Amino acid sequence: MNETFQNLSVNPNDLPSVKEADFNHIEKGYLKVSLISGAVFFLLLLIGGFCLIFFNDDIEGSVKVYSIVLGSIILLWGLNILVTVKAFPKKQYALRERDIIYTKGLLWWERTSIPFNRIQHAELKQGPVDRMFKLHSLKIFTAGGQSSDLVIPGLREDTASRLKEFVLGKTAIDGNDD
Amino acid sequence: MEMTIDQYYTPQRQSRVAIGIILIKFLRMTIRSFWPILLSFFIGGRNNDSFGMIIGYIALGFAAFNLIGSVLTYFRFYFHIEEGAFIIDKGILKRTKTNIPFERIQTINFKQNLLHQIFGVVSLEIDTAGAKKSELTIDALKKEDAEALRSFILKEKAQIESPLESTETDVAIEEDEQIVLHLGVSDLFKVGVSQNHLKSMGILFAFVFSTLNEVTEDVPELIADELSGYDQTILNTGWVMFFASVIIVGIISFLYSLITTVLRNYDLKLSIKQGGLKLVKGLLNREEISVNKKKVQVISWSDNPIRMMFKMFTLQIEQASSAEADQLKSKIKVPGSYQTQVDSVVKAVFPEEFYRPEERHHVSKLLKYRLFVFIGLFPTLIGAGISYYFIEWEALYFLIWGLFIWLTVSAYYRKRTYEVNDEFLKNNRGTFGHIYELTQLYKVQSVQIKQSWYQRRKRIATVVLSNAAGALKVPFIPIEQAEALESFILYGVESDQREWM
Repeated sequence: MNETFQNLSVNPNDLPSVKEADFNHIEKGYLKVSLISGAVFFLLLLIGGFCLIFFNDDIEGSVKVYSIVLGSIILLWGLNILVTVKAFPKKQYALRERDIIYTKGLLWWERTSIPFNRIQHAELKQGPVDRMFKLHSLKIFTAGGQSSDLVIPGLREDTASRLKEFVLGKTAIDGNDD
Repeated sequence: MEMTIDQYYTPQRQSRVAIGIILIKFLRMTIRSFWPILLSFFIGGRNNDSFGMIIGYIALGFAAFNLIGSVLTYFRFYFHIEEGAFIIDKGILKRTKTNIPFERIQTINFKQNLLHQIFGVVSLEIDTAGAKKSELTIDALKKEDAEALRSFILKEKAQIESPLESTETDVAIEEDEQIVLHLGVSDLFKVGVSQNHLKSMGILFAFVFSTLNEVTEDVPELIADELSGYDQTILNTGWVMFFASVIIVGIISFLYSLITTVLRNYDLKLSIKQGGLKLVKGLLNREEISVNKKKVQVISWSDNPIRMMFKMFTLQIEQASSAEADQLKSKIKVPGSYQTQVDSVVKAVFPEEFYRPEERHHVSKLLKYRLFVFIGLFPTLIGAGISYYFIEWEALYFLIWGLFIWLTVSAYYRKRTYEVNDEFLKNNRGTFGHIYELTQLYKVQSVQIKQSWYQRRKRIATVVLSNAAGALKVPFIPIEQAEALESFILYGVESDQREWM
């Protein structure tokens, strides 16, 4: 098994490695945002489950049924909280001279790198929960389908707009506009 | 030639034939949306009931409306050329004026259905660069006019984009076409025979069932009614019936794929031009598609067991697609290419000095084992376990499934390799046949490394390369290889100045 590829004109080991880039964590507040969004979802699920048993005549509203249905939802919620908290530190981004990198995921980890000269456009987004914590997401679009789009959540407004300007400024210089 | 172009500086109508063609377009749409009603009218019409008559009048009304609509559409449709832009002015109730600068026009494709072919006209499709649905159609133009218009627009476009080059060479470019592939009768037959007949079977079943659903609301009930009288005989002749129907369905599917192949790929010609490729094909619907060299992201070619005997591949050229809507446009399929033809297409579109066999890197054996465990082992154990309760030792038949999966997974793993050099990445795959995917590294838009917790333990990773046409995956390779690919490809993309779409 050869470690690197012999037939390439440049030895990949001499190139700057992506994993050694200078990574930044996203804002701590975003953990709260994820937890609140999760809470809203699971509360709705709980209410839905409760109503289903309460109003449906076919299902017997015994303590046992309630505890099985609602208990399992609460268990899932607990798991969700655990994974969210554990996975949060994995969300990191890095800017290099010519590309932007984002990593995420606990069980299914992934690292996405997009060169500036392949970025079509970028925009800032803010959901309702994000607004409470004054956080923004930076969304980066490439051409073609959505397979290679990138979203970096949990950025303070000044960081987010600076990133966007940087990325787009680089795009204008590097890319050849079609 | 100049004479024909001059007329386009004043607003032009389409060829007269367009009335008929628009009418047929309208009729098609109407029939497609109302055919159950029309059917019930024909059935009801025999009984002379008043409801059927009303429906009939409504249908007639629609037909009249269509006729008037298509005539008006024709008379209210003008196009002309003005200062480096193509202008279309149309609409009966809502007038729209579309203005397309030449530099935004990507390709101009011709289409001909049977009517077009009889009257010697073509319909023009103008593809523009843009994010949303970006197409303009002119329903009918005389063929020579359309050709002149196209070459004029493309010439003007080239001049706008690079004014330094003289127009003399551009004219020469138009003439210089070299046919790479022409499907003759025997080739066409081979392609038809080696189609994926199982797929056509699926299409046929879906069609039959959806049709039954349209006509009668309750397919299950219908079948139950039909079969209720046959209980006894079914038991006796069940197997015979079953095999007979399998054979009949098989024959019908076979004929269906053969006929559709012939209709779709009749007299297929693929030629290489200076700027890319040109494909002409079809019997009833003749279409011509141009491919711009720059926009080609992936070239892939694949075979199946029957095609292997003929040494034929299905060649697929994937272009950068501007919107989700024209997914079909972005993938061009040429069935029945031999290896030499595949090679000449690749060399015409991609830089040929890099197109050579390289060292084949295998993926990790763990991929094979995992596939086997999930598709082979678990189902076998579960199936055998459950059925053991009911049929005891005959449950051992499930072991055949496990063995079969083991063999196919092994075959898949043997073929699953990738090759890389400074310019290309080539994926080699396939289970029963072969699939080869070739992409230029500098056209990649994002590089992804993925690791599940299992892969992290085993120090392997999956690399996903996305480009403007889709994504290529290299699964289960050692993490060092994945990271080397990642940094090398990023370096390549970032230091390359060529246009990528």
